[in-house]
Amino acid sequence: MIRAAVLVVSAYLAVIVQEFLPAMPFFAGAHVYLLPVIVCFAVLWFPFPAALAFALYAGLLGDLAMLHVDGEHVEIGLGWSMLFYVFLAAVLRLVAPAPSGLRWETHCLASGAATFLLLAGQYLTVCLRRESFLLNGEVFAQLAGPALAALLLAPLLFFFFSLFPGFDPGRRGRRVKR
Amino acid sequence: MKPLHLVLLAAAVIVAVVFLAFSPDRMRAWQSRFFDVSTPALQAGAAINNRISKLNKGLRTVDEIEAENAALTAQNNELRASSQLLKDLAEENRRLRDTLGYRERSAFSLVPAQVVSRDSGNWWSSVKINRGFGSEIDSAQPVLTADGLVGRTTTVAKDISMVLLLTDETCQVAARVEETGDQGIISGQRTAGEGSPTLVLNFLKRNADIKPGMKIVTAGVSGGVFPAGIPLGTVREFRTRELDGQAIIEPAADLGRLEDVFVVRGTK
Repeated sequence: MIRAAVLVVSAYLAVIVQEFLPAMPFFAGAHVYLLPVIVCFAVLWFPFPAALAFALYAGLLGDLAMLHVDGEHVEIGLGWSMLFYVFLAAVLRLVAPAPSGLRWETHCLASGAATFLLLAGQYLTVCLRRESFLLNGEVFAQLAGPALAALLLAPLLFFFFSLFPGFDPGRRGRRVKR
Repeated sequence: MKPLHLVLLAAAVIVAVVFLAFSPDRMRAWQSRFFDVSTPALQAGAAINNRISKLNKGLRTVDEIEAENAALTAQNNELRASSQLLKDLAEENRRLRDTLGYRERSAFSLVPAQVVSRDSGNWWSSVKINRGFGSEIDSAQPVLTADGLVGRTTTVAKDISMVLLLTDETCQVAARVEETGDQGIISGQRTAGEGSPTLVLNFLKRNADIKPGMKIVTAGVSGGVFPAGIPLGTVREFRTRELDGQAIIEPAADLGRLEDVFVVRGTK
């Protein structure tokens, strides 16, 4: 329960802290995304129903923080990230089943891939809305930079969450037959 | 995957789709409420951020003093540090006097505001400011500095507003070359990167006599958001395309280092 509360609070704090993190000059001014790293941890750790609820909650937070409503014009609507994180939860559950899925390596790779796919999906949607597609080095840097940052941050967050009592990575939900 | 999990997955997808089907006004209302709830956290974050940047400035100054005055005594170092602190205060005083002076001589009714945070997304260019409908600010109001136009407000909460910057590709402004009168549409670029991004002025005449250094101001289209005559930037380069001319513009306001801005509420 404590860990669940920590994850819920962490997701909100991640959305706020992201606003104040400096952009990465080596990656064309790309920003650091903390939320996908926390979502990956949560959906790997929670039971599936709770993972879906967390995905909806985190997606709503992410969308509310980044939503751009300009008059009647909305490029990425409220609900886009919710949909993405729900599918992420389903895919991760298939790729890394709950009992042994929560390993730091799995979390690290999932965080990098999720960040990259989230940004690629956002960019594709933006391109479709603006009716022009542009792919150059800067765009690639803005996709790859945050994904690399997520790869580096994931182990730190994993070990931070593992500090909370009762956490046993790789064993949660494992049942022993007697 | 268990059948129950499939049902839950379908339910979660439906919830997300319901949110996607919201009207823009409803989305704006939700975001406004989120900003209201997050205002204390955002303002606390901004305060911490300011302290850290001031601390960095102070550390750099001490480094410089140490490099220049390695032989000086501890008392001299202390005196120099005090002197530097006074310089910082004088600089802050000068900046505030400048902004106050601009507010008084401007033809517009202005609301002063400070930038709280920058957009954390990669594909948009916006900032949040510490004024909202509590200060009678509405959406689609121009935001500027003493140097020129910055952008316009979009979502407005009680004490926080989001400002879409000129450097965003979707922020389009009718613009005029002050010297020649040529008109076009100015906007940001999708991948402007970090540092000092440029703007593009499109739909100019191919044979327009536009030269580097010429000033660009808002054209003030009737019924538009922006009043006429607000500086937008200076021409860096002019090039002809197949159907029109395009100018690369350096923004008048330093959009990478915004601190104090004004929201235009109307004319005096």
